[in-house]
Amino acid sequence: MVVLRRARLRFTAVALVTLVASLAAPTAQDADDAVRTVRVSAERFTFTPSEIRVPADVPVRIELKSEDTDHGFRIVGTDVDVVIPKRSRGAAVVTVTLAEGEYTFECSQICGAGHAFMRGVIIASAEDGE
Amino acid sequence: MLLGATAAAQTGSPPAPEPRTGISGYMEAHYNKPEFEDGRLDFHRFVLLVTHSFSDRLRFVGELELEHAFVEGLEEAGELELEQAYVDFLLDRSFNVRAGMMLMPVGIINERHEPPVFYGVERPFVDTVIVPTTWFEVGAGVHGEVGRGLRYRAFLTAPLNAAEFSAEEGLRDGRQKGAEANAGRLAATGRVELVSIPGLTLGASLWSGKSGFEFRPRFDVNVHVAEADARYARDRLELRGQFAQVWIDNAATLNQALAFRIGVDPNLPSAMRGFYAEGGYRFISGARIGDVGAFARYENFDTQFRMPDGYLPLRAFDRDALVVGATYWPEPDIAIKADVSWVRNRSSVIEAPNSWNLGIGWWF
Ligand SMILES: [Cu+2]
Repeated sequence: MVVLRRARLRFTAVALVTLVASLAAPTAQDADDAVRTVRVSAERFTFTPSEIRVPADVPVRIELKSEDTDHGFRIVGTDVDVVIPKRSRGAAVVTVTLAEGEYTFECSQICGAGHAFMRGVIIASAEDGE
Repeated sequence: MLLGATAAAQTGSPPAPEPRTGISGYMEAHYNKPEFEDGRLDFHRFVLLVTHSFSDRLRFVGELELEHAFVEGLEEAGELELEQAYVDFLLDRSFNVRAGMMLMPVGIINERHEPPVFYGVERPFVDTVIVPTTWFEVGAGVHGEVGRGLRYRAFLTAPLNAAEFSAEEGLRDGRQKGAEANAGRLAATGRVELVSIPGLTLGASLWSGKSGFEFRPRFDVNVHVAEADARYARDRLELRGQFAQVWIDNAATLNQALAFRIGVDPNLPSAMRGFYAEGGYRFISGARIGDVGAFARYENFDTQFRMPDGYLPLRAFDRDALVVGATYWPEPDIAIKADVSWVRNRSSVIEAPNSWNLGIGWWF
């Protein structure tokens, strides 16, 4: 509990996160064209890429698709937590604006024996992300 | 630096926080029809996965498996096995600590064995007689990921028991399975995995332990397992390959000690080897009726690949197999499978059994 509260505090103190989670068909490009999009694929038991570099303080759209079962995408210490639908059932989309720093993300839906290995990092930096 | 509160506007899929305690699992039922024998209906695996989050950094994962549906005292029918039950201390992406009952990080199947994610009713022969899946022991160790997708895990666990090895099934019966396992000398195991290229997983594993602890006077039976694998899955295509070799040191002394104990020389090898290559393709994908894929796998495995001095290999243990079949996924978590398996060996006397198999497996 203590750990969680500290994470929340850090989050509200340093980050302004706008979260738009929607079930979108992969072709539905409703987001602003100017918004940078990062595509992440999830499968037992890996996110690819597992290291995501984004620019700090600007909105970034993260599009998540699964190759197999339901996975989750949770950014630890934030309110971001969405279900990535099963294969062929579209994508989950979140738009985040992150302050400079490193954020751990992980699968939040039990997806099998190696579920605990499904983690990654978002590095938000002042210099341009990739 | 930005200061501000969350502006969380959400539509569509709601956030689904991981429940503090969750239950999931998978099941598979098989029909096996070996040539010249009656068919068998087997509820092969019934597995329940339980997870609990004590906090963001402290997790418990448990996997309880009932094999062959029915357990008797003498273990002839089925087995009730605790395959995983560990606590993860999540410290940092690059360094985490795990302790408890853990899966050995060796090969493709051992850690990734939910029925919808592999082709074929039964697991590959190489992942049965060379890498003894499901392979699990009690221990502790570290795991993590560095950079763009370089993962590692390194564990110390109870070793295999060489007194239970066999010439036909390899290391399989040597697994102690955490049952008051002898831990006089711990085994070490580790794996590195590269997952940075989309769709591609490259892995290499090692296992090394002293397995002769049951013998008096004691002598060393060092066992080493080396394994390398690759898996590529993109859209409809899936390719995988694996190579595994086992070395048993002091096999001649081990054979003599076992012959003295059980009255028959078990003819254990000094090395075993196996490899396979598999290709699968979903020729229907994302359709209203689901997905349909076909696959072919070639396997080569020899449980008497090298013999100790003075021993000759039985050619019946030098085997290869061609497995061809199809999977129908009415939905991504249900797999209905059918395949034909042709097994050959190098013996002119003993025939290897061919079989055809049907199976249904699901994840929930
Ligand atoms: Cu997952």
